[in-house]
Amino acid sequence: MIQREVKPLDFLSAGETASDFKETLKSLGIAPEICRKASIVTYEAEMNAVIHGGGGVIAMELSGDRITIVAKDEGPGIENVSLAMQEGYSTAPDFIREMGFGAGMGLPNIKKYSDELEIETEPGKGMTLRAVIYLRD
Amino acid sequence: MKISDILENLEGVTVHVAPREGVEVTKGFTGDLLSFVMGSAPEGALWVTIQNHVNVAAVALLKEIPLVLLASGRSPSPELKDQCQREGIALATTDLDSFQACGRLHAMGVRN
Ligand SMILES: Nc1ncnc2c1ncn2[C@@H]1O[C@H](COP(=O)(O)OP(=O)(O)OP(=O)(O)O)[C@@H](O)[C@H]1O
Ligand SMILES: [Mg+2]
Repeated sequence: MIQREVKPLDFLSAGETASDFKETLKSLGIAPEICRKASIVTYEAEMNAVIHGGGGVIAMELSGDRITIVAKDEGPGIENVSLAMQEGYSTAPDFIREMGFGAGMGLPNIKKYSDELEIETEPGKGMTLRAVIYLRD
Repeated sequence: MKISDILENLEGVTVHVAPREGVEVTKGFTGDLLSFVMGSAPEGALWVTIQNHVNVAAVALLKEIPLVLLASGRSPSPELKDQCQREGIALATTDLDSFQACGRLHAMGVRN
């Protein structure tokens, strides 16, 4: 398992976790299509921790037939998860939207590119997102 | 098509980070919403955008984008330029807007 910490609103480093995980998977000989999925899932979870979660820890584990990506933060959590999962739903403030974030597509991307997705959250206490990508379909 | 040829044939271009020798591209994509680009851009495509901040490099790296073309005369932030240099991503500005730039690129044979 590898894990990295991400800091709130640190746009300079944001994305490094995703490229680090992608390089790791590539060096292990994982198929490009799987690396691609894992990097999209990691990037979106990472950006959400950076933008909404007050920073957090992103971990990846490769075991057996699957890659598991876990993003954990202690930020505000999500009040209504099914609403947050909808394409276009975003609470991103204006300055974040001006940067091209806040399309409300991050969680839908994670859903689309993972095979299993679980979000555990308690408003005010943070959230844990667990996404699984199968190595074979 | 060679990235260097594309940059030579497009109007009003300022190159910030030159492409590496002989790097080619056949596909293109445009978008300013980063999650949209992340979810929809084909890997290895060139990317036309008006976003000029550092996270553009992170998306480009993950999508294996060899050229970021900033439209409407947008200059890159210093951090974006540094990051592109470090990661070997070509970076240029065109005075054309995204629509015009994509039109020219399409006419040159760049497809989606
Ligand atoms: N880690 C998190 N902590 C608290 N809220 C979150 C977290 N991740 C997502 N959310 C909430 O869910 C919403 C939808 O997230 P999603 O990633 O789909 O879109 P976005 O981040 O707003 O925009 P985009 O990802 O397209 O840049 C967010 O606007 C935010 O309200
Ligand atoms: Mg998001």
